[in-house]
Amino acid sequence: MRIEFVKAVHALMEKDPKSLFLTGDLGYNALEKVAQAFGPRFLNVGVAEQNMMGVAAGLAMTGARPWAYSIAPFATYRCLEQIRNDICLHDLPVRVVGNGGGYTYGIMGSTHHALEDLAVLKPLPNMSLFFPCSNNHVAAAVALMGELAGPSYLRLAISGFQSDTAPLAENPVTLTRRYGTRSRKQARGLSIVCAGHAAQIAVAALALDPAIDADVFGFARYPFDLASDADVMASIADTRRVLFIEEHYASGGIGESFAAEIAGKVDAFVRMNAVYRKDQRYGSAAFHLAQTGMTPTTVLATAREMLA
Amino acid sequence: MTFADDLRRDALAIRKTFLGMHYRAKAGHIGTGLSAIDILAFLHKSWLTKEDAFILSKGHGASSLYATLHHFGVLSDEVLATYYKDDTLLPAHPAAGAFAAIPAATGSLGHGLPIAAGMAYARKYLDRTSQRVAALLSDGECNEGSVWEAAAFAAHHHLANLLVIIDANGLQGFGKTTDVLDMEPMADKWKSFGFDTREIDGHDFDQIREACSDLDATRPRCVIARTVKGNGVRFMEGKLEWHYLPMSEAQFNEALADLEGKP
Repeated sequence: MRIEFVKAVHALMEKDPKSLFLTGDLGYNALEKVAQAFGPRFLNVGVAEQNMMGVAAGLAMTGARPWAYSIAPFATYRCLEQIRNDICLHDLPVRVVGNGGGYTYGIMGSTHHALEDLAVLKPLPNMSLFFPCSNNHVAAAVALMGELAGPSYLRLAISGFQSDTAPLAENPVTLTRRYGTRSRKQARGLSIVCAGHAAQIAVAALALDPAIDADVFGFARYPFDLASDADVMASIADTRRVLFIEEHYASGGIGESFAAEIAGKVDAFVRMNAVYRKDQRYGSAAFHLAQTGMTPTTVLATAREMLA
Repeated sequence: MTFADDLRRDALAIRKTFLGMHYRAKAGHIGTGLSAIDILAFLHKSWLTKEDAFILSKGHGASSLYATLHHFGVLSDEVLATYYKDDTLLPAHPAAGAFAAIPAATGSLGHGLPIAAGMAYARKYLDRTSQRVAALLSDGECNEGSVWEAAAFAAHHHLANLLVIIDANGLQGFGKTTDVLDMEPMADKWKSFGFDTREIDGHDFDQIREACSDLDATRPRCVIARTVKGNGVRFMEGKLEWHYLPMSEAQFNEALADLEGKP
């Protein structure tokens, strides 16, 4: 998603003279063109994320619209108070960008995984979260963030089960995607709802059994706008059961919030999430997903179990 | 009347207002306000233009800023009278977005300098204006790592339009700064980070003016203002407890008399 992001943000910066780009000393082999093109509007602040967010807030107070980029855990946890106090409390148009949501950074180890980033940012006042489902979803998120008058966060990721399948439909406001439609072999069927790039696992599961009786959706924005996501709500009204998948811990995840929204509308809500392990072993993103029990095969098995 | 006499009169009026606010509110953070008022009075009367920005990074000094802004006509009597009460826009630490003269909600230490540096960068490199930014920090605040991240940033980018003042009253939350986490020699630290650094008596208006004038062409300025916590009220001066305590009626009257120089 990083290439798509840089391309989109570069185009946006050409159109919006008030925008500028801050990086916490990351972007090798990705941000060189932005650095060359924008002079003082590109700013490598060094390895200092707290200062980066404070500086971004100060810039925004003068009318600028900064993007602030780092690896997802560094762009969120280290500087959470700056995001809360300096950016969110002042409702400033600072666009925080975290590269490497979920297990993207796999073998780099736990410090580089971002499995609570959405949880810590979700409750912050005025904050909008964007978590594209795949590479071809990033430009739309960047465009929407560019229009926001308040703060936002973009979660970029690479799935361990990469696909860049075009959706069957995409809501222009919520960015929610539909990837699969029930075969209606059963009266009820199942609603599979994913947050962000976990949708790629569901898409791969769908490829294993294209006839499975499930609607498949991918959320990409929080707070929800469920009135606009009539498609999702209609599916849930029919199936009354949801399988929710996200590459994030269950606690504080998007699934937890969605469950709260639709409680009473469903008979079953099953979640597949990243799970913390004390005796963690390390490997690729796909390895971590397998270890945590989130693969196309396990998704398919869980879906079939719910349908049985 | 000399420049210093004139400001002394302003500062005296601000201190009286400030003590009245704290007495009525039964609010603490008195010592920290008294150490900062001379600096605040100078900045708002003689240094800041309409286009400049001021960030009170030591957010716990908010009431001294409120009293100063009131003295110079920025906050009305009616607004000031709401200080510390329910439904106020003047809480103990500055609120976000309430007044143009208070651009940032501070109170968690170490936040103001990064914000001020961001503003200064925008003014110098993006908007290319001559507007300046001043930030007032406490000495205890310099324990925070983010202060030094911002200091390095400001010097690296030659933010010569940035004035940092350290209200160095020598006391922090739970003891003397030299006992808790000694940041001395403070001036050497700022100097080594690349600041054009001055060290002054923070209650001497001539020294304050001198130290804040003629900013360097390429370096940000840091003024280490040696102040006295509780300055102007003898029974509070240098006493840690006046970081926290509210005043009784007797103490309030004694403090007012002391300000006036009555025995």
